[in-house]
Amino acid sequence: MPIVEFIQVSKRFGPLRAVDDVSFEIRRGEFFSLLGPSGCGKTTTLRLLAGFEEPEPGGEIRVAGISMHGKPPYERQLGMVFQSYALFPHLSVERNVAYGLERRHLPRAVIAGRVARALELVRLPAAEFAARRPTQLSGGQRQRVALARALVLEPEILLLDEPLGAIDLKLRKAMQLELKQLNRALGITFVYVTHDQDEALSMSDRIAVMDQGRLVQLGTPAEIYERPRTPFVAGFIGESNLLDAGEGRRVAVRPERIELRDPGDPAAGLCGLPGTVDEVIYLGERMRILVLVAGGTRASATLQNEGQLARPLRWSRGDPVLLCWRPEDARTLEDA
Amino acid sequence: MRRLPTWLLLGPGTLWLGAFFVVPMLLVLAASFLQRGVYGGVEPGFTLEHYRRFLDPLYVRVLWRTALWAGGATVACLLLGYPVAWVIARSRRYRQLLLLLVVLPFWTSFLVRTFAMIFLLRDTGLVNSLLLRAGLVREPLTLLYTPFAVLLGLVYGFLPFMVLPIYASLEKLDGALLEAAEGLGARPAARFFTVILPLSLPGVIAGSLLVFVPALGSFVTSDLLGGAKQVMIGNLVQNQFTTARNWPFGSAASLVVMALVLVAVGLALRLRDRGAAQGLAP
Repeated sequence: MPIVEFIQVSKRFGPLRAVDDVSFEIRRGEFFSLLGPSGCGKTTTLRLLAGFEEPEPGGEIRVAGISMHGKPPYERQLGMVFQSYALFPHLSVERNVAYGLERRHLPRAVIAGRVARALELVRLPAAEFAARRPTQLSGGQRQRVALARALVLEPEILLLDEPLGAIDLKLRKAMQLELKQLNRALGITFVYVTHDQDEALSMSDRIAVMDQGRLVQLGTPAEIYERPRTPFVAGFIGESNLLDAGEGRRVAVRPERIELRDPGDPAAGLCGLPGTVDEVIYLGERMRILVLVAGGTRASATLQNEGQLARPLRWSRGDPVLLCWRPEDARTLEDA
Repeated sequence: MRRLPTWLLLGPGTLWLGAFFVVPMLLVLAASFLQRGVYGGVEPGFTLEHYRRFLDPLYVRVLWRTALWAGGATVACLLLGYPVAWVIARSRRYRQLLLLLVVLPFWTSFLVRTFAMIFLLRDTGLVNSLLLRAGLVREPLTLLYTPFAVLLGLVYGFLPFMVLPIYASLEKLDGALLEAAEGLGARPAARFFTVILPLSLPGVIAGSLLVFVPALGSFVTSDLLGGAKQVMIGNLVQNQFTTARNWPFGSAASLVVMALVLVAVGLALRLRDRGAAQGLAP
């Protein structure tokens, strides 16, 4: 049985359809991401699951098969990590983590033990951090406290609303790995909201891509990246060239799937489109070549950098070139 | 922009307070230890007699009554004002309007508003005539010139001073904290006592002081609404300087009020620091 079911869930704010007839299932233990640009409805979807918003009549949300209709957040037993962390500023780290346990009126000794274990889990030594106030912590440390505060209750589902948004890049990479490892080690279902496609691709078991309140595609990172169903998904997740494949068909081809050849050197079994090299960009490990094709479209191809000093690229600005790709690397897109 | 020197910024205020607050306070302090002049004023000769007079049960009662009424008004303002402040802080569309309504009474003189209370409360006043007409009472209730009337007047007069500071601290409260608490299993009452109240404590303390301190020294309200019988220490001070012409005793009385105020402020500050140091108990 899926642990979370959304069945035709909608949420309107005045005239705005924040979430528009969304249905999906989340499997027990998976790392599930809601991905999309700001305003796409991903955070509202998470808040509907948490119980901070109620869906419009007709839609239903189930957790472990049980309808959440009318259940307030404090009865849903879900863990939640907020973008702003939302740590209680008047309480110490220890009391912040203990907060949920205190609400359950557990004995003091039990609370102390579980708080210590939770802090250990997020690698904050209790001896050093337990007595501190949230204001005396760095952003990354606050993030860990917020995580410990949710995990200490041993929820079946952990909801995370852009939890790494306010952390600098290097720490973010480390935290991504840690979150993924926590998900695997604890067996807790993670529902993760992000607008960062790299983050979603690298951490998720499955990704739900949202746009304008609708769920546009649901699949594994490889399915989402390699088989985008709409121009929106193709454009939002990574880079895509939208190319004219003749007969009015438009296809999406990833820049790294494009091969450049000299004109008049068409390889068997490849589709070809003639163009002119417009720009050659040096990226270090890769080279990016922008090509102007007929109709004014600018396509982008990335090639491995084989060493420009030892083995320079054959083409430079203004050279005629043939864009080639394998038919299986081209996705015919549905119109959004 | 050129920066003004510090002495120029502090100077005028310091001079003003020095001339019109510190010097008079010192005069009052000195007067409270001197002999009473026959036609008012003071005469030389050190004495503690004026302070000793406060041990007289008559004045102990006045002090007790004053503290009780000021404290009662503070508690009543807190209970009435906190929910109002909460609603204003949570309201988006009507916030400005509600704030305006809170400070609207200040547009009229305090004296006029207190007189208006008399017209409401007296035997033939609005309250009694409505009660009589509705058949809820046969005889008019005695509302005016009672402790109840004084308390009503004090609460009415000082309520905005409670609402505004509490509003200011509630308005800063991050809504995500309440959602976090809710997600962690806190029911509404638990959210109030573990998150909302501790974080608005500075406002509660400031508001309580702003009500308690002026209520402690008030004399107009008790004079007009309590009649001559229900004397507060403010009335005592006023009487000593006017009709009784006992300046030293009046000075001693006002210093006793000040001592009470200092005790209250000290307690409030300690409560605030303790609240800041450990949060309220769960």
